[in-house]
Amino acid sequence: MSNACNSPLRSWRDIVFAAAALAFLIVFVAFVLLLIIADAFYIDRKAVLTVINSGFIRHALWMSLWTSCLTTLIAVLFAVPIGYSLSRYRFPGRALADTIVDLPIVFPPLVAGLTLLVFFSQTDFGKWIQNDLGIEFVFRKKGIILCQFLVSASFAIRSAKIAFDEVDRRFENVALTLGCTRFRAFRRVSLPLALNGVIAGAILTWARAFGLFGPLLIFVGSFRGRTEVLSTTVFLEQSVGNIEVALAVAMLMIVVAVIALTTIHLVGGRTQVKL
Amino acid sequence: MIRTEKLEFTIGDFNLRDLNLEIPEKTYFVMLGPPGSGKTVFLECLCGLKRPRQGRIFIDGKNVTTLEPRKRGIGYVPQDYALFPHLSVEKNIAFGLRNAGHDSRSNRRKITQIAEMLTISGLLERNVTDLSGGEKQRTALARALVVEPEVLLLDEPVCALDEGTRQTVCAMLLDIQRKLRLTVIHVSHNLEEAFSVADRAAILNQGILQQVGPLGQLLRKPQNEFVARFMRCENIFTEQQDVKLARPHPGKAGMMIRPENILLLPIDECGTEYENQFIVEIARYRDFGAYVKVELAGPLNLVAHLTHAAFERLQIEPGRQVKAVLPPQSIHTFHP
Repeated sequence: MSNACNSPLRSWRDIVFAAAALAFLIVFVAFVLLLIIADAFYIDRKAVLTVINSGFIRHALWMSLWTSCLTTLIAVLFAVPIGYSLSRYRFPGRALADTIVDLPIVFPPLVAGLTLLVFFSQTDFGKWIQNDLGIEFVFRKKGIILCQFLVSASFAIRSAKIAFDEVDRRFENVALTLGCTRFRAFRRVSLPLALNGVIAGAILTWARAFGLFGPLLIFVGSFRGRTEVLSTTVFLEQSVGNIEVALAVAMLMIVVAVIALTTIHLVGGRTQVKL
Repeated sequence: MIRTEKLEFTIGDFNLRDLNLEIPEKTYFVMLGPPGSGKTVFLECLCGLKRPRQGRIFIDGKNVTTLEPRKRGIGYVPQDYALFPHLSVEKNIAFGLRNAGHDSRSNRRKITQIAEMLTISGLLERNVTDLSGGEKQRTALARALVVEPEVLLLDEPVCALDEGTRQTVCAMLLDIQRKLRLTVIHVSHNLEEAFSVADRAAILNQGILQQVGPLGQLLRKPQNEFVARFMRCENIFTEQQDVKLARPHPGKAGMMIRPENILLLPIDECGTEYENQFIVEIARYRDFGAYVKVELAGPLNLVAHLTHAAFERLQIEPGRQVKAVLPPQSIHTFHP
C-alpha cells in the first residue's frame, strides 16, 4: 500500500502505456525461453551423459572459459586507456580512430577470421611475427585469444569511452587542485566513477568471446583436444549428425553463460549495461 | 598578494582580454559580472586548470603561470561543488590530505576540526548524494580548506542555495576568511551576495575588466555606463540639449545619480535654493519592502527610491506631480 501511496496518480492511459511496454518484454522473454525449452525437450538422457563423460567436451569447456576470461582481461586493459583517451583528449585523427574502434563490431564474423588468416599467412609482417619472432597464431591456442580479442574488444572500448564521457571533468579538476597528478586524479576519481561502465563492457566482451564461432573455425580450426571450444563442438557434433549432443553442448553453453552473468551482476552490484 | 599581468585567454569566440588585477593579501575579493563574462575562466586560470594564452599570474610574488594546479597552494570550490559521488563526506574531506601524505592521526584531527568549524560533524559517514544544498556547500568548503590553502577560490558558492541559507552561508564565509586569514576570491553575479562579504570587488564584462575597488566606489563612482547599470543605477544620462544639469565635472558627458539620492518634494514646497530642480509626474511605483521604487516622467525620466516615511509624507500616487531635485554633489560623471 505504501508504494501505491508514494507513486504518482495514474490514469487509464498510463496503465495502457505501461501494459504495452511490458507486453513487448513478455513477448521477447517468452520467445527466448520457448527456444531454450524446445532445445531442452529435444535432448535425451544419452546425449546429456555423452556431454558429461566426454573428455573432449570437458576440454572444450575449459578452453572456452579460460580463453574468454583472458581475452576479457586483455580487452579491459586496452579499453580503459583507449576509452579515456577518446573521451578526454582532442588530437588529429581522433574521429577516424573512434570509427576504427567500432569497425570490428560491424565486421561479418567470417571476414574477421579470414582477415587474420590472410594477415598471418600471406603478408610479410604477419609471416615475420609467426616465423621470425616465433609467435604462432594460426591453428594455435593463442589464435583463439587473438580472434576473440579482435571481435569483442570494441565492446569494452566503446563502453569504457561512454563511461568516461559520463564522468564530469570538474571532478578531475577539483582533484588536481587537491594535490593530484593527472594519473592520480584518473586513478582516484575518474576510474572509480567509470567502473560500472567498464564492468558492463567487460560483460559484453566476455559474452561475445565465449560464444564466438565463425572466425575461430577459419583462423584456428577445430582440432579436438587442441583448439576446440564449445561453439566449435556444437558445429562438429551437428556436422556428423549428433543433433542431440550438439544441442546438449549448446545448453551447457547457455547454463555457463547464465551462471557467469548472474555472478558478475551479483558481484558487480549496481553494474548496468549501458550500450 | 595575487597579481595578474596582461592575462589573456581564448576559448571559441570568447576572449579574456588584457586582465591586470591586484588582489591584496587576506582580502575577501568578489569578482562580479553577468553570466558569460569570463569570471569562471578567470578563476580556472588562477588555479591552473586553464592555461592563459598570454600574460602572467603571480601569487605572493611567485610566477605561477605555468605551475601545475597542485603546486599553487590554492583551494577551489567549483560551482555545484563537484563533490566526489563515490566517496562519503569524510572521504571527500580527506581526499586532499591523502595526497599530501600526512599521517592518519593528524589527518583525522584536521578532519574533525574542519568538520566542527563548518558544523558538519554529524554528516561525516553520509553519502554526499544524500546531502542538502547547504550541506554539500559546507562539505566542499571543508574539502578545500582542510589542506590549508593560502588562497581560496569560490565559484558562485551560494547560487544553488535558497535566499535564507544564502545569507547565513555568506556570513559564515566571511567569518572563515577572517578566522583563517585567507585571501578569498569569490565569483558571483549577485550584488547582495557581494555586499554581504566583499572587502574589494571587480566587475568583468565580456572578458574585459571594467572597474576594481571597494564596492562603495563601484556603487557611487562607476567608471562607465556598464558598471553603473550593473550596480543597478537606472538614472544614467548623457549630455542633453534641453536639460542642463549642474554637476561637479562638466567635461565628462556621462552622468548618473543613484535612485536613493534623488530628493522628492511636494510641488508647492519652496525650494529655490536647490539646483537641478524639475517638475515630474509619478508614472508608477512598487513597494520592495525596504524601500519604494518610484518611476518619474518629466524632462528627465527618473527612478527614485523612497523610504516608507517619505512615501507616506509625499502621498505618492500615479499621475501626481512632485518636484525632483538632483543635488549636484550626488551626480557622478564619467566618459560614456
